[in-house]
Amino acid sequence: MRLTALITLSVVCLVGATAVAQEGHPLKGSWLGTWGPSKMHSNDILIVMNWDGKAITGMINPGTDNIPIRNATLNPEGWLVHIEADAKDKAGPINYVIDGKIEGLAFHNRSVTGTWKSQRGESGPFKISRQ
Amino acid sequence: MKTRTTRLLFSVAAAVLLASITAAAHHAISAKFDDKKPTTLSGVVTLVDWRNPHVHVFFNVKDAKGTLNWAVELESPIDLQSNGWKADTLQPGDAITVQGILARNGSRQVWGNSVVLSATGRQVLKFTPVVPPPPLQPRPTPRWADKQPRLGPVPGGVQGYWGYPSSTVLMEQGTNIKMDAWGLLANIADAPKVAPMQPWAQALYVNRQARFLQDDPTYINCKPPGGPRQFQLSYGVQFVEDRERQRIFVLIGGGNSNYRIIYLDGRTHAGQVGGDDDNPLYYGRSVGKWEGDSLVVDTRGFNEDFWFTNGGLPHTEQLKLIERYTRTDFDTLKYDVTIEDTGAYTRPWSSGWTLRWVAGEELPRHLCQENRP
Repeated sequence: MRLTALITLSVVCLVGATAVAQEGHPLKGSWLGTWGPSKMHSNDILIVMNWDGKAITGMINPGTDNIPIRNATLNPEGWLVHIEADAKDKAGPINYVIDGKIEGLAFHNRSVTGTWKSQRGESGPFKISRQ
Repeated sequence: MKTRTTRLLFSVAAAVLLASITAAAHHAISAKFDDKKPTTLSGVVTLVDWRNPHVHVFFNVKDAKGTLNWAVELESPIDLQSNGWKADTLQPGDAITVQGILARNGSRQVWGNSVVLSATGRQVLKFTPVVPPPPLQPRPTPRWADKQPRLGPVPGGVQGYWGYPSSTVLMEQGTNIKMDAWGLLANIADAPKVAPMQPWAQALYVNRQARFLQDDPTYINCKPPGGPRQFQLSYGVQFVEDRERQRIFVLIGGGNSNYRIIYLDGRTHAGQVGGDDDNPLYYGRSVGKWEGDSLVVDTRGFNEDFWFTNGGLPHTEQLKLIERYTRTDFDTLKYDVTIEDTGAYTRPWSSGWTLRWVAGEELPRHLCQENRP
């Protein structure tokens, strides 16, 4: 009986959790996810983005790696996201390009799924979800 | 073991149905029900759930698959009472026939347009929207001793509030676009004409429209109806003028029955909320002053967690409103608003409508209850 109640409650919570408000600009906010060579071996990523009415600004991994976003665009036709960011590591400057698509636009916890690549030939899957 | 498994499956199914029912509060009918799916159902009442924001009647319907329990969703208790319906009009055990439209999600829910007692053929519900009282003889604008117009009741007089907005949808002044009362476009291709939206905002607006406004936070989560929307919801608004402290409370009858404050004491927009001055708010920060017979209110500092219009026009934290309230006579309040939001629109734009004085009544007691259908 306890198991029954637990399942009932879980399903209600799960379905209810998807019914959360949409907000302003679809990219504004904090996004958490992963990027990496594969689904099995990936790194955590945090992106914070803002919209000032003309441009999307933001930072990748603020407080740790601090990679400022140099250029970001949102194409409302298909909700395509393009992000460019410049970083520096032991090997020197590195430029990241992320291309993805917003999924679940109507929901607070929408996501951006796509790929990333660098000028060094590295690439991998990319997925972030709005927090 | 089989019984236990069956019970578990039934429990999960019931939970899913329950969750689908509880996913929206007082909502646009079209958000949940499909007017292209009319139906007629007959059955026996099992429960009358007489509560805001929507009354529900549950009844058992027999068909080839057996007996299934359906939910009939109706207007709020306030609206039903004004149509002669009472909490005990229907009783468990009554046989009824319901005409209505089916839920979009395929669940056993129907929006009830008509409920008839099968035994007598008596129609116990035929809902007609409440209409404004007949036009009154023009009466002069009531004023304080210093001749400033009063936005609330006259001193020593009967209570009242402002209701029956002449428009329940927001679109740029001078445009005439066909929408339903909830702001749903008759033709989605008209979206660009509604307001001068930036491309992303227009695409988001179209997305909200295409989803029949089902994501509206005011109806899903009882989020406050900030901005001009508070003057377009059912159940009106009431002004309480606190002249001693130079502020006006605007009590909101619809939504979640809360209020906003308009300060007239010369303060700036900052510093109105102790300890959290920059926190964006559902109703923003409003400062006002009288210009002749009009109260002019400048509001900014909105958050983005709500829809500021019926129909889902987007906004950002950059939203600024200039509202003008003019009581043109005793029974008419003219509301004009200029919307400036450089985050979502390409230029400032304006709209306006009137509200009617509802004399002798307090705001209807409507509560938007979270997770109540």
